[in-house]
Formats: sequence, C-alpha cells, structure tokens
Amino acid sequence: MRVMPAESFHPLLGDPLDPVEPFGHASILDADEREEIFAAGERFLDRHALLAELVPAELGGRLVSFERLIVTMRSVARHDMALWLSYFGSAFIGSTNVWAAGTPGQRRTVAGLLLRNGKLAVAYHELEHGTDLLRVGFNALPSGDGWIMNGRKEVIANVDRAEKTVLFARTDPQPGLWSHSQFLIDNAAAVREGMRYLPRFHTSGMRGVRLTGVELAGCPVPGDCVLGAPGGGVDTVLRSFPITRVVISGTAVASLDTGLRLALRFALDRRRGPGRVADLAVTRRLLCDTFIDLLVCDAIASVAARALQITPAESHLYSAAVKFLVPRLAMDAMRRLSTLLGAHFYLREGPHALFQKHLRDLAPAVFGHLPRAACQSLLLPYLPRLARHAWAAPEDPDSALFRLREDLPSFPLGKLPPAAARRDPLIAALTLTQQRLRGTELAGLVDALAGELAALRRECAAMRPHRLTVTADTAALATTSRYAALLAASACLNIWWHHRAADVFVGDPRWVAAALRRLLAGVPRHGLLLGERGDHTPWLYAELVRRFEEGRSFDLSDQPLR
Amino acid sequence: MPYLCPGLLSSAERPDRPAALLANDLERLLGDPDDPSSPFSYARCLELDRREAFPSEMCDELDRMGVQRFYVPRAYGGALVSFEQLSALVRVLARRDLTLAIGHAKTFLGAAPLWVAGDPGPAARLAEAILAGARVSLGLTEREHGGDLAATETRAVRDRGGYRISGEKWLINNATRGRMITLLAGTDQALSLFLLDKRALEPEEYRCLPKIRTHGIRGADISGIELSGARVPQDALIGTPGAGLPILVKALQLTRTGCLALSLGALDQAIELATRFARERILYGRPLAELPAVRLRLGQAYATLFVAEAVNITATRCVHVLPDELSVVSAVAKAVVPSLAEDCLDSLGELLGIRSFLAEGRLQKVERDHRIVGIFDGSTFVNRSVLINQFGRLARSFHRGRADQQRLRQLFRIGGKLPPFDAARLGVVSRNGCGVVQSIPQAVEAVTALAAEGRAPDALAVLARALLIEVQQVHEQLAARNWPQLDRPPEAFHLAQRYELCFAAAACLHLWVHNRTRVASGLWDEAAWLTACLGFLLARLRPDSVTATRHADEAMIALYERVERARPSGPLSIVPIHGEAPARGRG
Repeated sequence: MRVMPAESFHPLLGDPLDPVEPFGHASILDADEREEIFAAGERFLDRHALLAELVPAELGGRLVSFERLIVTMRSVARHDMALWLSYFGSAFIGSTNVWAAGTPGQRRTVAGLLLRNGKLAVAYHELEHGTDLLRVGFNALPSGDGWIMNGRKEVIANVDRAEKTVLFARTDPQPGLWSHSQFLIDNAAAVREGMRYLPRFHTSGMRGVRLTGVELAGCPVPGDCVLGAPGGGVDTVLRSFPITRVVISGTAVASLDTGLRLALRFALDRRRGPGRVADLAVTRRLLCDTFIDLLVCDAIASVAARALQITPAESHLYSAAVKFLVPRLAMDAMRRLSTLLGAHFYLREGPHALFQKHLRDLAPAVFGHLPRAACQSLLLPYLPRLARHAWAAPEDPDSALFRLREDLPSFPLGKLPPAAARRDPLIAALTLTQQRLRGTELAGLVDALAGELAALRRECAAMRPHRLTVTADTAALATTSRYAALLAASACLNIWWHHRAADVFVGDPRWVAAALRRLLAGVPRHGLLLGERGDHTPWLYAELVRRFEEGRSFDLSDQPLR
Repeated sequence: MPYLCPGLLSSAERPDRPAALLANDLERLLGDPDDPSSPFSYARCLELDRREAFPSEMCDELDRMGVQRFYVPRAYGGALVSFEQLSALVRVLARRDLTLAIGHAKTFLGAAPLWVAGDPGPAARLAEAILAGARVSLGLTEREHGGDLAATETRAVRDRGGYRISGEKWLINNATRGRMITLLAGTDQALSLFLLDKRALEPEEYRCLPKIRTHGIRGADISGIELSGARVPQDALIGTPGAGLPILVKALQLTRTGCLALSLGALDQAIELATRFARERILYGRPLAELPAVRLRLGQAYATLFVAEAVNITATRCVHVLPDELSVVSAVAKAVVPSLAEDCLDSLGELLGIRSFLAEGRLQKVERDHRIVGIFDGSTFVNRSVLINQFGRLARSFHRGRADQQRLRQLFRIGGKLPPFDAARLGVVSRNGCGVVQSIPQAVEAVTALAAEGRAPDALAVLARALLIEVQQVHEQLAARNWPQLDRPPEAFHLAQRYELCFAAAACLHLWVHNRTRVASGLWDEAAWLTACLGFLLARLRPDSVTATRHADEAMIALYERVERARPSGPLSIVPIHGEAPARGRG
C-alpha cells in the first residue's frame, strides 16, 4: 500500500499568515469572539469531505496512516484550533472506538455518517469524575431487549448538533474494569425518549466549540446500540485512546507552528533602536529554541504515530509519553513566544491577535484527553519491568519507526492490542545509536543520554511495587518524565540517522545537536554540557526565515503551505 | 472630606498603622467576595470581564473609601506615608480582581513621576485632582515602538509661553477614562514629561482612541490618546526640560515595586482556589490532596507565594531604606515575581484541569489578567536589560563585599518604623550595587552559626551553603566578561535570571535571620517557610542537580503538610496579621 501524499492538501487552506478564503484571520477571530464555530471554515472542510480522513480505507474513507492524519489535521489546526477540535475531535475519538469495538453494521453506519459530513459526538466526561472513567455516575441497566439510561454527561462538544453519540456508561454496579460499556446512540431517537441537552458551557479557550451535555432520566435505548460486548467499555477505551492521544497531541503542535510564525513576523517587522527586534541575538535564540522544541514535539509525535501501526502493543507507552510531553512543551514554547510579542500578545485585535487565540486554544491540550498526572500514573508501572528486561538487553529496533512518511502496515481494525512492555524499540534504538556515533560531534551528547538511561534503569529496576500506584511518591513519578525525555531524544536522533544521507533538513545533525541539548538541560547531572554548546542558532535562524518566507511548515516535513 | 468612608479615613490618620491591618480594613470594607449581591463580589467581577465593562462603580466606591488618598504623598495632602501600606492595599484589590486593582491603582502610576520630580506646582495641582477623584494615566508608549522610549515621536514645541503637543500615545491604561495624563514628549532638550489636564484642552486638541480589546483585564480601559497641537501652559512641564527620562526611570522604580502586589493578589486567589479544590475533589476514590504529586504542586505554590512576599517586603521597604539601590532591586523584583507567579498560575491551572478552563471559574480569569503584569511598567525583558546594564558594578561591589549592615538591619526588621521616602535619593543606577545580595555571605554565616548552636535546622545550613556557592558562581560569571549594552547576548539574560533567583533567596534568608525570634507563627517554627523557599529557589538555580530537586520536593511537601495542619483562616502569608492573637501552629 502506498501512502497518499497529505502534502497535497495543505495549499487548499494556504499559509496561516496568508490564508485562502474563508480562512482570513478576521473571520476566524470574529467567530471566536462570538463564541460560534467558524461556519464558513466548517463548510469548506465539508466541501472537501474531510471527515473521510477519519474513515479507514476498507470502509470507504482515506485513513491509511495516523502519521498522515496528523499532517492533514495540522493543516486545519494551524488556522483555527477550535475549528479543528469541533470538526475532528469528537468524530475522531468516537469513530476510533467504533472501529475498535463496533459490529460491522455499526462501523458501516458511522463510516456512512462521516462520509456524508454527519456529526458524531462522544460523551465520556462528567464534571464530577473527570478522568476517573471507572467511577462515572452515568449508568445503563439492561431492560428487556434494550437498556435504560440514567445520568449526565457534561462539557461535551457538539452533542446537540450530532446525529449519533458514542456514550460511556456503567453497566454493572460491581467495581472493576469490566463494569462499563460504550453505546452508539441515535440522538434524535434518544431525544424522543426524553434525552435532554444541557445548557452551553462557556470556556476561556476553544470558545467557538459548542460544549453542552446530555441528561437522560430513565431513557430507553435499543439493545443493538451497545458497542462490542457489554462490560468491555474500559477495555475498548484502553485500546483506542492511545491512538487518539498521539494524534491529538501531534496535531496540537500546529498551534505552535502558527504561534512561531506570528512571533517571527512580529520580530521581522518591528523596529527596536537602530534595527529590528529580529536582529537581537536574544530574539534569535528565543525563536530558535522554540523552533527546536517544535521539532522535538514533531519527532516524538511522528514516531509514536508510526508506532501505532508498526508496533501497536508498545505504542501505548509512547502514546502516554507523547501526551505527557508534547502539549506541555508546546504550551511552554507559546508562553515564551508571548514574551517576545510583549504587549502585542495581549491584544485581541490588530495584526497579531491570532496569537492570543492560539494560546487560549492550546491550553486544554495540556489537561484534556488524559491529564499529565494520569499519563505518569499510566507509564510508571511499566518502567521497572522495562528497566529489568527490555532496556537491559535491547533487541534490534524497528528502523521503520524513523523513516518518516514511508509505507506503514495497515492497522488491525477491531484487533487493537492491549498494552505490552516486552520491548522498547525507541530505547533500543537509542542504545544502538550510541555505538554508531562514537567519535562524531554528537558522541558527547549521546554519551550523556546513555548515562542518563543507565541511571534511570538502575533507579527503575530497584523500584518496589508500592511506589507504582496512583499515590506514587514524587521521586517515582519523576522517572516517567525522564523516560519521556529519553524517548524524545531517541526519536530525534534516529530520525536524523535514517535521513542523514538525504539532502533534507532532517538529515543535518545540527538540529539534533540543538534538540539533544535542550532535552538534556532538564536532565540531572548533565547541565554542564550546556556550557560548551556549539551554537547552531545562525543556521537554525536562517532555516526558520527561509521557511517563513517560502511559506513552509516549521515541522520536520518542511512542506509547502501555499 | 465627604468622599471618605470612615474605615480607611481613620487608618489614614494613623500613618503608623501596620500595613497588614490596613489591608484588613480594606478587605472588610470590600465585603464578602462570595456573596453575589455584594458590590465587590467575584461574580460581579467575572460578569464585568465577560461584558468587557470597566468596574466603574467599584472604582467610585474605592474613591469613597479614600483608597486614592494612598496614591498621594502626605506632603501634598494625601495619606501615602509608607509604601508598605500602599502595597498591602493594592494586594487586597488584586486579590479581589486584577482589573479593579489595575484600573484604580493606575492613578499612582500616572502620578509617580510628579512625586519623584518634586516640582511643587504641578504636583500640588495633581494631588488636588486625585484627592477629588480624578484618574491619572501615564502616556509613554506609542504604536510603533512600545517600550523603546528613546524612539518617542510625540513632540512638544514651545508656543507663547507654553507648549503645543502633538502625537499619539497608544496602549495606555485609563487614557480615555483618566482626566489627567502624564505624557512623555520630545522637546528641544531631549524628552520631557508633561502633565495634561484634559479639561483644560480644547475639544479639537485631542481625541481619545477606542478601547482596545485585550486577552485579560478585559474590562480595563486600555486605549490611547491623539494630541493635535494640544496647548499646555509652561507649568505643565514636570521638572526641567529634557529631564523626562531620568524622572521616569526613577518613577518606574516605584511603580515596578508596586506591581509586585498585583502578582501577590493573583497568587492569593489562585492558591485559595487550588487548595480548596484539592481538598474537596475526589478522584480515584480519595481526595486529590492525598496524592503526593498534588501536595508537591500546592507546596510549590505556597513556596512561590512566600518567595514573592519576601521579595515584595524587601523591595517595598527598600523604597524607604535603600532608595539609592532601588534601580537594581525594583528591576530584579519586577522580573522575578511576575515570572514565578506566572509559572505558579500555570501549574495550578493544570491541577484544576477543566475547571481552569470553564468561563464560570475564576482561575482562567486570574491567569489571563495576570499575564499583563509581566508586560507593563517595563516587561521582564526590559527589566533584565536594566539589570544587565549594571552587571559590571554588581560584580565589583560583590567582590568588595559592600553592604551597609545597619541599613540592612533596618530594611529587614519588619514592623519597625520606616524612614520617610526621599525621592532625591533615587538613582538611575546603583553605585553600591545591591546590598541585599552582597550581604548573603554574612547571612549564610549567621545561619551556619545558629545551626551549630542548635537554633536552626542543619538542613537549613546545608541549603544556605549551597546557595552561597551558586551566588559566588553567578558573580564570577558577572565578572567574567564585559557585557555589551547593545544587543545583549542570550547568556546575559540567562545570568540575569539566575541573579534574580539569588536575590530572592537573599531576601528570604535575611528576613528570616532578622525576624526569626520576633514572629510567632507555625510557618516560622523550624524555619519551615525558609527551608521550603530556599529549596524551591535552589532547584531552579540547579535544574541539573538530582539532590537539589529531590530535597526541594521533600521540602515543598512538608510545607504543604504544615500549612494544611494549620489551615489558616485568612490568606496565606509569612507575615501574620499583627492584630490577631499570634497563635503557635497557625499559618
């Protein structure tokens, strides 16, 4: 199977700073101010049947690669994060669960719905229970051939606009992992049976996204709307959310792309003293640091997205690491950019107004769809096992993980595996790279990474089970962030390694050196390395300006946006 | 004076009233924030923000209480005697609502250049106007060159014994609602400052620019003014012609110090919200506050607040005791406090999750509102540049070990009488460097000695010595090269940031050393707050040190647990309110 070039889609929307209609900044900002979804943008996406991107090829859609899906979604998110979330967010999470657990009939129904631009909502969230899905209050009890539903789901996007909703409910009063089920309900039918929509929730970011909720009080639904076997709701979520977490986090990087673009334009246009803001060394360093952070985000997200199809069982860990690392890095980078814009970042009007919208819209990426603390709790129990086995005796890594945009095996629709930690291809690749890079300019940095891995391995291998629970101490939790940083470092290093022969940006070791230095800055014991940095800022800055001027993306793909 | 409400009037007549008590007076006058019918309720503040409406009624009410009297020095008929009092009042306002605090206290910003210039004519006129309820704004920035004041295009030309001023000032707080504006304009002799009274201008001479919509403080009047040959009399000139920048540089030292109270008020709000959330929220079958990671996060927030308080106490008292060093102290404080507060608000937002995102919640507003604090009155970038310009002097003064111990004692012994503020002692640069930092070695010595006698925890002495190593390293780097004043390298900004952390640690250390036997509060037992704050700052100075991070984390969790055991009723503070019976074990 050949991967279709997603690049072909980008010019349709244009450079975020020079968009094609209807993606003009004024219209996007105006919709945000009115707390309405950007309707013209939505129609545009409908005209191009973009929801087909979510539908697997065997069901008539265009989904063949999650890596490519990120690329496609980013082209929307670069312009308007709220439009992206509203248009793709629920449809993606909902449909992924339907592909994972639904009957062939349910899959066809949802595929058909999306292929004709229909809306699919997902109702997992209850304010009272947040991420604690096991304790949801919403319940469905068997009754005759069907189910009776009771409860509320809150802060749910587009539910009152959707034809169908994927709904998560307790179906067994027993505690445990097998007491919940997912349902695919028909909204119109449920409303006829008494389902009520809740008033709108207003938010500080993503203001255009219609967030409401549903309340069902003794509402009957037919028996055939349960997704998969009753009681398997949590199991399905555990298998499908790794996919959605990687793709959503990976897409959010687009916001940083636009933030960086706006900040660079500001710096190039704005005079300070005899020159421009962009002429100051401190400005260039800030811009290049942000550029590097963006590349790091893209590297780990792209590799994790490829892992979903290449090594699906291991990808669970990478997914949690991506969700932990990427939105936070992106958010911190946006905050840093805001200091460059100064007072201009604070304005909701004028040429830079889009910046504050992206800053507000990016915020929920950090806590939404699994908060960072929960990512850590998810990762932590695997680390001692990995440390004792996989890290100690690394096997051959899957080099396909790092050959971006290359063909991918099809993903096992309906047979998503549960998490496993027998192997750790990213860490194996890191270990292998250390041997390959002896004597090169990256050797020092890679040795430092290897030292960090060895330290982490000792620490994790010695960790006792009582430290691995949800009440884990902070030192134990800290190992997860160190692990995530190593994964990111390995992703950067190996992407470069596998492209080093090609005449492309990612094949140049300088970005990797800069990326590793930034990742190592947070790593214990290796701060001293920062003192002896070979400064690649001039090279990076030239690259940044070239991409800005030519209207190309700032991520690893360096693709044209217009 | 009929516009004065008895509460603050009585306190205003007692200039020695401790700042914390005065703050309490104001807090009481503002009423219960959780009662939606109260004029100063949180609900009302959120509603105004949503509608982008200026808190006019609240500001009028503050005028009736006499808060604006604290923007006018006693010499001109106002109640401003102590900057500690002013800071405490602004913190109370910011704890209620940042739009309100900024909207009201901006008058002080506009007025400060006159108090600094000490030009009796304009100062007396301005004082009279403020006491009668006029709002004053400061017109510095222009559309094309924001903080780059040297590029000011507004011009004042001599005309028939006065001046005619033309130009546009943009992004000016209260430019439209303010009656008076202190304005920077170019004259024959460099930049000069003028005091404009809109009432004295002809309608065709000026035009207020429309309100600009902002990310936070949405209700604020951030607008601008366009002057077209506005005629002002000779005595509108503040100070001498061409003295604009030196006056301004000194006035900003006062206002930058005043900004710290805004960060403190924002932290007060966020910490209250997050602490309550962690106690009440049940997740995975237990209160969130039982999770070590949550305790760490809250402990870090408390440490942030205490560091910010220590810096604020130091900088505010410095106005009175060491005004000649305020050029360094105010720049450092204005850079470090808003930055730490931003990180803290961000971290607490993550803790609150979706509740930090729903518009009905206060945290999202505090977070948006507070972002302006790091920008206005000189951004963090500008303040770090101010500091970098003094690097050489700071390095030399540190190596000479310069510090006036007597004045430092006066600076750090809280509650003691402060000398009157003397604007003439402010300087554009500090000739003696920064005594607060330069005397770190003595403070470390004192802590070591106390530990040896068993009067301070050993862990504290370890932290203090670790700090000294960092401080020495920072000063070696300061001295290592000549730092360019144009296009300052990124390393200089990094070093400035480290210097700020050293300063903050010094403020904490000195405060504890000078007051440890004088304050009765559970937070002072076993140097609890100091241990946590030093741990917090050291972990930031040494992000690469496993031990520093681990010790800091333990200290933060211990701090959280100590505060939680005490459960103070009012806002958390290292300086307990003197009016209440000091009880051991209370935060």
